[in-house]
Amino acid sequence: MNCRKVYRYICDNLDEKLDSPRCRQIRRHLDGCPECQEYLKSIKLTVKLYRAAPPPQIPAATHNRLMKVLNLELGKHGTPARKGSRACR
Amino acid sequence: MNARATKPPTDAQLIRAARGGNSTAFASLVRRYEETVYRFAFKMCRNRERAEETLQDTFINVFRKLDSFDGKSKFSTWLYTIVANNCLMRQRRRKLDDLVDPLEEFDEPYSLEKGQHRRQIPDGAETPDELLLSKELRTVLDRAIERLPLDYRAVFILRDIEGHSNEETARILTISVEATKSRLRRARAFLRDQLHPYLAADQRALE
Repeated sequence: MNCRKVYRYICDNLDEKLDSPRCRQIRRHLDGCPECQEYLKSIKLTVKLYRAAPPPQIPAATHNRLMKVLNLELGKHGTPARKGSRACR
Repeated sequence: MNARATKPPTDAQLIRAARGGNSTAFASLVRRYEETVYRFAFKMCRNRERAEETLQDTFINVFRKLDSFDGKSKFSTWLYTIVANNCLMRQRRRKLDDLVDPLEEFDEPYSLEKGQHRRQIPDGAETPDELLLSKELRTVLDRAIERLPLDYRAVFILRDIEGHSNEETARILTISVEATKSRLRRARAFLRDQLHPYLAADQRALE
């Protein structure tokens, strides 16, 4: 088991417990390879930091504008009104 | 007390009613999922205004295409797909995709030669001295993910932040599971490299 294989595997299965025969090979490699240990640690930390960021909350004004656009507040039926083209750039 | 009376309607029930022209049922679906849609749109677009535009576009699309939802996948999966398509298609319309995969180099996370474990910090990235530490963390994280191409950002958000499985992420983005894994590997490696100067400085400061 070389570093490249270990890299691919640890990145595919960041959160899995290392208990299969293949995982035991990975673990043996990690035990003797400080570089891969360090790399795994830094990848885990990266993911952890992004997970830790608080999720954005929908502002009340955004909710109100959405409902207005969808004409739901007035209980209208039919195709909702729509202003211009929307973009996710 | 009738327990059934207080039980909230299922998505399928609301969808059925909304298809029949019940605007209250559609409003309930919107209220149930607007946070989910906004959150994902915001993380994809990195901008409040664009997230709001995507939110509106998504529910307009849902409204118009509700009849075409076959119920084979979860309603939320369908919503995620609409948001992702909205963002990806509009971005593709704005600029032609590069012929070369921009993150292909991240298949090799580091030189395997002894002593060259660390990837060189890409040009333009901040050096540790130019960064403030933890109070700048959010900015650093935001900047790094903004540099990540949208195809990869979508996979990273769905897998690592939203917590979907590889299979679910593949279904949402209508790509293969292998492509999902490959993009995730590259996205993580890219972000890790972008954050590395900051994290290395942070670690030294803690020692």
